[in-house]
Amino acid sequence: MENESNPVYKNQAYGQFRELFYSYDKDGKFEKRVGYHGEPDRVTLQQAWDHFNDRIEAARQKVKAGEASPILYYMEKTLVTAMDLSMHAGIIVWRIKRHLKPKVFNRLGEKTLKKYAEAFNITIDQLKNVD
Amino acid sequence: MEKDKIIIDYKHRQAGHCESGATSNLFNFYGVEMSEPMAFGIGNGLFFSYLPFLKLQYAPMMTFRNFPNVVFHRSMKYLGVDSTVIKKFKDQKESMAALDRNLEKGIPTGMQVGVFNLTFFPPEYRMHYNMHNLVAYGKEGNDYWVSDTVMELPQKISSEDLQRVRYAKGVFAPKGKMYWINSINKDLDIKSAVEKAIKKTVYEMLKVPFPLNGVKGIHWLAKDLKKWPKKHGNETASFYLGQIIRMSEDFGTGGAGFRYIYGAFLKETGEKFSNPDLMAASNLMGNAANRWREFTYLSARNCKNRSKPEEDYGKLSDMLHEIADMEKEVYVKLDKIKI
Repeated sequence: MENESNPVYKNQAYGQFRELFYSYDKDGKFEKRVGYHGEPDRVTLQQAWDHFNDRIEAARQKVKAGEASPILYYMEKTLVTAMDLSMHAGIIVWRIKRHLKPKVFNRLGEKTLKKYAEAFNITIDQLKNVD
Repeated sequence: MEKDKIIIDYKHRQAGHCESGATSNLFNFYGVEMSEPMAFGIGNGLFFSYLPFLKLQYAPMMTFRNFPNVVFHRSMKYLGVDSTVIKKFKDQKESMAALDRNLEKGIPTGMQVGVFNLTFFPPEYRMHYNMHNLVAYGKEGNDYWVSDTVMELPQKISSEDLQRVRYAKGVFAPKGKMYWINSINKDLDIKSAVEKAIKKTVYEMLKVPFPLNGVKGIHWLAKDLKKWPKKHGNETASFYLGQIIRMSEDFGTGGAGFRYIYGAFLKETGEKFSNPDLMAASNLMGNAANRWREFTYLSARNCKNRSKPEEDYGKLSDMLHEIADMEKEVYVKLDKIKI
């Protein structure tokens, strides 16, 4: 199981990360072993990232179609909800929700944009343009 | 450069669980031999709580461990060790300066951090999970040497990155929390600490008058699990099921949601105080942990084939009920034990 080649995880340097696991055998001994993650972990992590990537892609399409502002895309990309973002950026939730409309977003001032850019750890230019 | 270099002679040992690993390493640094399961057990690491109204990464939240910093705090309290915990710093710069002062004095300092921006962490683990712990033990120029017990080797992290992870936001935000041991009395009264700790764990798993905690919480989760496919559809049900596995197997649990570590703790104390009841309880815990493992293996099949579940959710739910009963047996046994 350990050397199973999984292309996705190979890209993300999965093979280099080994954790410590405990186990219990029939003789009543608890043992420690250092090793790679087993099948269930891989499957569920893959599932989680597939789910997140789907959401990111959907958000990107929405932004491209002009239905939402880039803030939505970056929110999905950094896996935060409006609530979390509000704590990061120091902007209250209903304002963030309002800023998700492209029309409102385009009118935003430098100061607010800077707050968002800092919360996402990107520049203002990157914030305005979704690649 | 030489002037800026401080490295404390701190031994990094890999551990299953971040906080109990950090605590046991800190004990060892001050010359008290303590294994990871021991620190985990005395610090009340074992817990279960199911919080469907809180969402963590779009799925209901459940936790197999106690709240952040409980392990350190309780093990210090029960063992009567002089330690300091600073819960939060308002000023981020001040928190880094406090860390520097500690390192200059030669005190390895533990910190609560968020995982999302942790640069040395493997990318697939970087979710918003704010209950991670690491110990800083050295500074070299602008970089800090940190011992993250989930990783095999000590890691280097730059000052800016460290500041960012210490001020990660979200559920259980760390707010720059840090902790360290001031001084330690070498002959600790481990017996009474173990007694208190077991009592507390039994209380938290059995007797808290709240239906989502402990054994009752596992039963509640099992009931909900049965309803998920009908309520949310197969896709979402399998995503939620995946959350159980992620919480119990990933994120530095040592496997089976910390049950193995707790079993190892019971066994170690049983051997130490030559108490056959504790040994019996450790065996029961080991069996429950193995059953958790089986549960994750079976449910992972549903996560693999998301739209067509291979395993019946009703069956998985029965399995969870069974696990809850198995665990209950352990706690009832522990409740009556006199060490």
